[in-house]
Amino acid sequence: MAEFIMVIIGGVQFGAIYALAAIGVVVIHKATRTVNFAHGGLVMLGAFVTYLVVVELRWPYWTAYVLAPLLIGTLAMALELVILRPIRRADMFTVIMATIFLGIALSETFRLAQNTEMLAVPSAVKGPPMIVPLGEDAFIVTAEQIWVTIGALLTGFAGLALFRYAGIGRSMRAMASNIRGAQLCGFSIDRVYALAWFFGGALAGLAGVFAAPSKGVSPELAVSVISAAFVAAVIGGFDSLIGAIIGGLLLGVVETLSAAYVSSAMKSAVSFLLLFVVLLWRPDGLFPERKGRDV
Amino acid sequence: MSDRLRGILRVLAPSSALVAFLLLGLFVGQYQRYVLSHAAAAIVIGAALTMLVGYARCISLATGAMMALGAYGSTLLVIKLGFPFLLAVALGGVLGGLGGFILAVPGVRFRSHNLAMVTLVFQSVVIIVIRELKGLTGGAEGLNVPRPTLFGIDFSGDYAILMLTVCVCVCVLVPLTILVTGAYGKNLRALASNEVGARAFGISIEHHLIAAFTISSAAVAIAAAIAAPRFRVIDPDTYGIMASIFTLAYPIVGGMQSIWGGVLGGGVLALLPEVLRPVADFIELFFAVLVIATIMFFRGGLVDLAGAIGRRLKGARPPESIEAASPVDAAVTGGLETSNAAVAAIGNALVIDNVSKVYDALRAVDGVSVEVRAGSLHGLMGPNGAGKTTLFNTISGFVGADGGRIECFGRDITHSPVEGRIALGITRTFQQVAIFPELTCRDNVVIGLGRNGIGSVLSRSFDDIAGRARAAEERGQADWALAAVGLGGLGDAPAGMLSLGNQRRLEIARAIVSRPRLILLDEPVSGVGHQEAEQLKDLLKRINADLGVTMLVVEHNIGFLVSLCDQLTVMGSGRVIAEGKPEEVVTRSEVRRVYFGESEKVALHA
Repeated sequence: MAEFIMVIIGGVQFGAIYALAAIGVVVIHKATRTVNFAHGGLVMLGAFVTYLVVVELRWPYWTAYVLAPLLIGTLAMALELVILRPIRRADMFTVIMATIFLGIALSETFRLAQNTEMLAVPSAVKGPPMIVPLGEDAFIVTAEQIWVTIGALLTGFAGLALFRYAGIGRSMRAMASNIRGAQLCGFSIDRVYALAWFFGGALAGLAGVFAAPSKGVSPELAVSVISAAFVAAVIGGFDSLIGAIIGGLLLGVVETLSAAYVSSAMKSAVSFLLLFVVLLWRPDGLFPERKGRDV
Repeated sequence: MSDRLRGILRVLAPSSALVAFLLLGLFVGQYQRYVLSHAAAAIVIGAALTMLVGYARCISLATGAMMALGAYGSTLLVIKLGFPFLLAVALGGVLGGLGGFILAVPGVRFRSHNLAMVTLVFQSVVIIVIRELKGLTGGAEGLNVPRPTLFGIDFSGDYAILMLTVCVCVCVLVPLTILVTGAYGKNLRALASNEVGARAFGISIEHHLIAAFTISSAAVAIAAAIAAPRFRVIDPDTYGIMASIFTLAYPIVGGMQSIWGGVLGGGVLALLPEVLRPVADFIELFFAVLVIATIMFFRGGLVDLAGAIGRRLKGARPPESIEAASPVDAAVTGGLETSNAAVAAIGNALVIDNVSKVYDALRAVDGVSVEVRAGSLHGLMGPNGAGKTTLFNTISGFVGADGGRIECFGRDITHSPVEGRIALGITRTFQQVAIFPELTCRDNVVIGLGRNGIGSVLSRSFDDIAGRARAAEERGQADWALAAVGLGGLGDAPAGMLSLGNQRRLEIARAIVSRPRLILLDEPVSGVGHQEAEQLKDLLKRINADLGVTMLVVEHNIGFLVSLCDQLTVMGSGRVIAEGKPEEVVTRSEVRRVYFGESEKVALHA
């Protein structure tokens, strides 16, 4: 029982990171109709910023939480401006291709710059692991696990609230539901797109900060995060923010459960099988956005 | 030069690059021969992906998995079961094709990013399985590939391998070229550009896409199987997600609009790392940047670039939009056999009996009964939301009726599928023109002939090469239909370059080419100017008279409808509110009320 709880806690921790990454994917998709396959690369760079700040510069950890979202958000905005804006009129197919290779370009640049296998980043919060008694047994939680789980989830919900209730969120939602209409109402498509990419990139950067201690910084992080974020987003219905959070948590738990009780190879297989089942069974995800009826 | 010879040369041309490799191989060293074999396999993979990615517009991230199926499948057949090498390669291809089929059957219901994700699932699962089945595949350690032998002769020398690779690759590339340049490739482009239009002419989208996955995966698997002995050891990482992504670059960089794109892209990108050996570390980044630059600046890829350079050298200007339609050739339409007309004189073409269609709480069509006399020009009008389009869609099979019965020339078609309607002699046009812009006008019209079941399309692709008369016959019919609507000289022009009015004509040509008995026209003059509308009216009247074909026309333009039709049905709120001679129907008070919002008094006064 105690072991099971520890597995679940570990799963929720990873799930919270996936959820945060998935929210970024969903926000960008909702506001700009762009499926961002380069999101994993952004998360990886967020983790790299953490490494630079914490390990190389030896600045206090909180600066990473400020700098990573700012830098990665700005980078995402720049990528939208330079690469995706010129092809905005192209069909989705072409844009997806572009973001796939954009992701490769990001992780390759990183690989060339840092020719190491993996960069290690220390935990954000230190302290002895807590031993929680449970009947005759006991399970262990680390401060890092609690911090990452709660921090990532709170960030995710804050992003959700910003998108749902704040003014910038309103412009993005307007753009999402009807581009022409939003433009006619005075929303500048360029500004909203830039904003959405900044917002999505900032969430990716934060996901990177949360992921860095447990996952390390390497090009593999980009690949593993992008597949996890997409699986989480698809489970959630791809356009639902709350769905992305639940999808991420579900994915994290299922992954660690299968790694613990089946085999480590099952870990990555099971996430894809989960995605496959969801797509076949409910193509709109478990939490589809309610759409207006087309007449 | 005969058409047949020209066709044969056209399908052999891409393979000539491979044969050139063979010659080139005579003059270069061992390592360069190795690189040439690598490029030959890449050319086949590029061509296969042109079909799947360029034509069918399916983003596949499972190419690596298909390569793994081919390479591991063929190697294991040789090692474990002692199969001869070439047979093992062929069976590796079969295994890859099977993989493509298994992936596509659930996969093709998705598009764009969801399809990409499903292919990524397949890719990951195949690699995980290979890694885990250590006893069979050697797991992550890899698998030793034995030297290839043919009839007991060792083929492991570098030139021998190049020869073997080129021969096998030609055997794959030729049929692939035939399919991509033939009817199958055209149908793929048609459905990728307009699914609704494709479906209306019997192109089963699912079957076509499943075939695209199966065929391209088989080709990819064979290319990987023939390449495996060169590696000496194969391991799962060779065929990982990065292999999928970098092979995806072949058709993008080469150009996705012709088989040459895949061939050029595969060849160039396979040779590029050798050219850039001094900066080998940057090759992946270079690839990625190259792809992004291609997408941003020259989306047509190397093929387009080569074309533009060729034009500049010749001093020719790029083709411009085509505006003018030639006048309708009276001699062509006039000289038609009018067997339909004779039959049509009796009975009803279409009997709609008490048909209903409900969307949630909305009764879009509410117990409508209409009879359309054979040979007539029957108009259907009504204000927005009157249920015209819904009724129309139940007739054309795009929407299933909830109740009632639809009979066409005495046959119950209430529940027959869209695909079967051409065979019954029913075709349609669309409110929003649903032509296939990338195809030529002639190819657009040929699709209207039907015979678009996947089996007959695949076999039709070989017509040109086999010198079957059918291909010439189809062209003849298409040219007749184009001439009949006044697009006689534009058979080879890309349909997307036509003006809207001419695109409407093209739709009509596509609808009449199969000599249907009933044509459903959905707002045929919406968006075209007054003069063009008049011309289209004359055209429709002439087709109706000469071919004896019955027409049901939905239109908002009342003047057009009244002067075109000999019978008019008016709908309002899902019901029929008036029916009769057009001039008389439009003066009725109930019609004026729902249509013009006139009150009873004003109508009476008028």
